[in-house]
Amino acid sequence: MPMAREQIVEKMMEILGEDQVITDEQVLKESSVDRFRRFEELHGVYTQPIPAAVVYVHSTAEVSAVLKFANEHRINVVPRTGHSATEGGLETAVENSLVVDGSRMNQIIQIDTYNMQATCQCGTPLQVLEDRLREQGYTTGHSPQSKPLAQMGGLVATRSIGQFSTLYGGIEEMVVGLEAVFPNGEITRIKNVPRRAAGPDIRHVIIGNEGAICYITEVTVKIFKFMPENIILLGYTLDRMKTGFELLREVMANGYRPSVARLYDPEDGAYHFSHFAGNKCVLIFMAEGPKPLADATGRAIEEIVAQSEECQKVDPKYIQVWFNNLNWDVSKVAEERAEIVETKNIGNTTEISANWGIINDIYEICVERIRNEIPDITLIGGHSSHSYLNGTNMYFVHYYNVVDCKPEEEITKYHLPIKKIIVEETIKAGGSMCHHHGVGKHRTPWIKDEYGSSYYIVETLKKAFDPNGIMNRGTIFPRR
Amino acid sequence: MDILVCFKVVPDLDQLAGSDWFIDSLLRVETGYAKTILNAYDESALEMALRFSESAGQSVNLTALTIGDEKADIYLKTLYALQFAKAVRIENSVEARFSPEAVASVICRYVELYGKQDLLIMGRQSGVGDNAKTPLLAAEMLKWPCITQVTRVEPGEASRLKVTAMVDGGLVQQTVRTPCVLAVGNVPNAYLRVPTLKEKYACGKKEIEVMDLEQFGLQGIFNCFDTGCELQGLALIDRNREGVIVQGATPAEKARALYDAYLKEWLEQL
Repeated sequence: MPMAREQIVEKMMEILGEDQVITDEQVLKESSVDRFRRFEELHGVYTQPIPAAVVYVHSTAEVSAVLKFANEHRINVVPRTGHSATEGGLETAVENSLVVDGSRMNQIIQIDTYNMQATCQCGTPLQVLEDRLREQGYTTGHSPQSKPLAQMGGLVATRSIGQFSTLYGGIEEMVVGLEAVFPNGEITRIKNVPRRAAGPDIRHVIIGNEGAICYITEVTVKIFKFMPENIILLGYTLDRMKTGFELLREVMANGYRPSVARLYDPEDGAYHFSHFAGNKCVLIFMAEGPKPLADATGRAIEEIVAQSEECQKVDPKYIQVWFNNLNWDVSKVAEERAEIVETKNIGNTTEISANWGIINDIYEICVERIRNEIPDITLIGGHSSHSYLNGTNMYFVHYYNVVDCKPEEEITKYHLPIKKIIVEETIKAGGSMCHHHGVGKHRTPWIKDEYGSSYYIVETLKKAFDPNGIMNRGTIFPRR
Repeated sequence: MDILVCFKVVPDLDQLAGSDWFIDSLLRVETGYAKTILNAYDESALEMALRFSESAGQSVNLTALTIGDEKADIYLKTLYALQFAKAVRIENSVEARFSPEAVASVICRYVELYGKQDLLIMGRQSGVGDNAKTPLLAAEMLKWPCITQVTRVEPGEASRLKVTAMVDGGLVQQTVRTPCVLAVGNVPNAYLRVPTLKEKYACGKKEIEVMDLEQFGLQGIFNCFDTGCELQGLALIDRNREGVIVQGATPAEKARALYDAYLKEWLEQL
């Protein structure tokens, strides 16, 4: 028999103390959703089951105690740190869930500049860690748009990626070791070493688990020397996305590693670049690192781009000013909320990845279908922002006016049909439906198509580590 | 009813970092690297005109007018998609930010030559060239009444308008005859609505009316008005705020310290 809400709260207070257990109704409502349902939230509509409590954990031992209790009593647990998720991963999908918030576990444990790694607790804001490292001449190399908001545990749990990924890699390439707690209360530590070949790399059981397998409590990441004085910014306008993809490929296939390699289509770029690019695509590179390396990378990119008559170089100061304003902070989020309420115009994003041979086709078919099939659409465009030797990502940006529907119908009328088009076209072509936001709860209908025969592996992980299915139900794995 | 809405495209100064605010040898601050936005008060004016046209109960012809270069065209195209009947740009690349008399003269000449406007709406001021004079000067030149700090306009009886404006201590509603000038003030959350792609495509081929100052007989006007002032120098204003971190071992201790040291006396005076 399921435990009653009051009993859950009472037991949490016993384990953690009263001041760590929050039952304020408004807090609970806001904790039942993430940015995916912000249109509902902005209108005061909450359609998801309200959690029994939000509990703030202060230590790994407390996480262990909470998970053990939840596991014994089959209580759904939603792990959370910065609350900046975008794909419904933080929605409390079942009654009487516990939102386990690690944001108070926010200590930087060690910055080891000799071994080039930093260890911190899960609730350490990335911005705080980055600022501390910059003071000493170092960087994490990780700079997602959510940097001012996101915290280390959540970033690792969602396989986050940053704007400098083409040089520094995604978070999975930065993490050297971890501490995590499994549903039965087991505390596990993966040591911090440069490489290992002692069987499978078990870091990847934890990285990207989206709170559906375990709770990340501590993270150790690589750090890099930060040499801003060597940064070279390059910007170009061009006519066609296809040309841009070809140029990105040329840069990557020839072995260059700019920290930033981005390609905007005219629709997405209009918001950022219309003052210098008009109605054109925009291609952006940043080279950094030791001066000889940054200079050589910058020169090589210029030579590669010069082969295309389509590209016109722009003053890098335009790119610098744009780049300085790219990230989201609390004030930008607040302004966005006011604007959505007033205009009923809301924007979301869907990110996918694919090999060079198919990326342009996916881009074109998705844009065309959304333009033609989705009502009230005000913008459909996108950009590639993370490139690899064998392909790149596409970050679709879609805005629409919410017309003639209740706030709670916005997702089914607009957002999910858009996602469906992008995900289905991407999987059909052979790409991946998620590049860096995670699966969350709204791409689970396609999770088996995403994995194909390898779904057996990920499904078995879930069954093995979370046999009672208490970890973030409905995330990654569809609810039965 | 014919309504002319005048607007200005400005750089988004929030995009500029502290280090971008350097003053060059010609006593200028380079703002051209920042993306452009609609002047916030003008954005409110444009949305106000659209709302009025929806509630007017009669046919309303909206014209949007701006002075500047082709950077404004993307905004004019958007206004076509939002059902403005005419989108007009008066070509000018000369510094006009500090010449409200010249700007007002151009607006008036447009009204005289092409207008028959019943109502002129524009933002009260701009963050760039913040003189707050243009609507008042335009009203004076046209010999029309002007209401400032307008937050709302609604149709009234017998072709009159009900205009809500901010005054010291509150709001006042006035019933006015047209023609008149409305200088739009601080309207809360008055964002311009967003047209759909279909609306944009439907107007995609509609040409923006680009005019030049010669057509108005006003060539060189932006060099004509002498402000009587000569710029001698510019200096940055130090806007850094002082801060105190309240000390305490627990949130309760910090709250107590905050109350005792800062809030108590202030609250007692209320």
